[in-house]
Amino acid sequence: MPGALVVENISKRFATSAGALAALEGVSLAVPQGRFVSIIGPSGCGKSTLFGVVGGLVPDYEGRVLIDGAPVHGTHDDIGMVFQEESTFPWLTVLENIMFPLDARGMARNECRERAERLVHLVGLDGFGNSYPAELSGGMRQRTAIARTLAAEPKILLMDEPFAALDEQTRLLLGDKLLQIWRELAQTTLLITHSITEAVQLSDEVVVMTYRPGRIKRVIPIDLPRPRSSEIVESAAFGRLVGTIWHDLREEALRGLAQTEPQGVSH
Amino acid sequence: MATTLTNFNRAPLHWFAPVTRVRALTLLAAALVWEGVARSGWLYEGVVPPLTAVARAFVVLLVTGDTYHHLAVTAWEVAAGFGIGLVAGIAFGILMGARPFFGRAMAPYVDGLATAPKIIFLPIVMLLFGVGITSKIALGALSAFFPVTLNTAAGMHGISPVLIRVGRSFRLSRAQMVRMIYLPALRGSIIVSMRLGLGVAIIGVLLAEIKLADRGLGFLAIDHYNQFRIPDMYALLLFIFILAIGANVLIGRLSPRR
Repeated sequence: MPGALVVENISKRFATSAGALAALEGVSLAVPQGRFVSIIGPSGCGKSTLFGVVGGLVPDYEGRVLIDGAPVHGTHDDIGMVFQEESTFPWLTVLENIMFPLDARGMARNECRERAERLVHLVGLDGFGNSYPAELSGGMRQRTAIARTLAAEPKILLMDEPFAALDEQTRLLLGDKLLQIWRELAQTTLLITHSITEAVQLSDEVVVMTYRPGRIKRVIPIDLPRPRSSEIVESAAFGRLVGTIWHDLREEALRGLAQTEPQGVSH
Repeated sequence: MATTLTNFNRAPLHWFAPVTRVRALTLLAAALVWEGVARSGWLYEGVVPPLTAVARAFVVLLVTGDTYHHLAVTAWEVAAGFGIGLVAGIAFGILMGARPFFGRAMAPYVDGLATAPKIIFLPIVMLLFGVGITSKIALGALSAFFPVTLNTAAGMHGISPVLIRVGRSFRLSRAQMVRMIYLPALRGSIIVSMRLGLGVAIIGVLLAEIKLADRGLGFLAIDHYNQFRIPDMYALLLFIFILAIGANVLIGRLSPRR
């Protein structure tokens, strides 16, 4: 039961010791039902703030978030979040982790277990249901976290650099897995990333953000044929898209670097 | 200290291992010095009674039903005091960790009172609860509360913030947050709290009993002292010592996994 996400004119300021910091300014974007959209931007462009605003974890912003046309405030059952950091519960097994949101909702034990087992299979962790996170690789833990979010059956899947801590090869292969899951569930997905390859490999549309304050710089449609696999990185079309995005992103990344470097040295 | 104690208790050693022999010899030497002093007449008679007298008193103590009556009183006081202090300390520690502003506001008082000897509260506790069992439980609870609170609050700081955000994103209620995230994440801290808390709860209860009571092991010890039944007193101290080690070993068994 996927839904459509609309972000309307979002602005967010943070109070810092040096005065108000504009993290986001007038950000608008739309993820139509069942589409995969990525947001890419340099460090400090406010993309994680946007993730927090849409997911309802960051309060006090201007603008509106709409799901299927209805404005929402705060956390919402229709939105599922996958975090960048290690977020599996170390005291629960893979299966128990996935059952977590269902337990919280008081779903009957065996129904809950059944759904969790299907998800273990979907994310390719068959045979690891009874393992603890510490016994798994980083990629497997992140797949557990994704399955846990999907277990709650959100209309919209929101991910903040879920593969950032993983190496490039694992990331490409997990991208394939993610695409396979996305095809199966036709899940409306908004992915925050700083990897151009990842954005192009997965998305229908890539949104490039500017360095502070974060605005939308450009929206680039990714017209590569589907179904895709990570082998697509070899194609010339893929290379051209990466080039186009890098052209836009480079300016912003340089601007970010110029502003943070002197501070970075003095710290 | 608790850790070293459990560590050497767990180490599988043979009787003939060098370290075991040194330990046995130390004990033997201490016993010989004791016996020597007892027979020398250097000290006032009865201050250091012969070991045979202590051993006899120990056997008598073990077969006297009255001992177990006092033990039951003390055990109940310790268990109730420790239980109350543990639950209250965990709740307060979680509150301090979950509400950073509240935690910062309370920190100087908790830190200050944690280092203060709890015996100074005995007069107040006696005024409030009388000289019976309740005042002993109160002092035990007061003793256990502070180390448990400090450890739980420190454990709260150690919880990865992303786990809290996961809980919020799944829209957990406050009670679910405590039951499904805080408590399991605090397991290790709570076990350490239990070790420290039980130790100080025993101290608190015995101190209160020694000061003013009509039953309990602490009362029995001070009663022997007052009647100058010194071998009985030593036998009882040995009995308490063995019980305290036993309690420590039992708590040590609950080791933090994962």
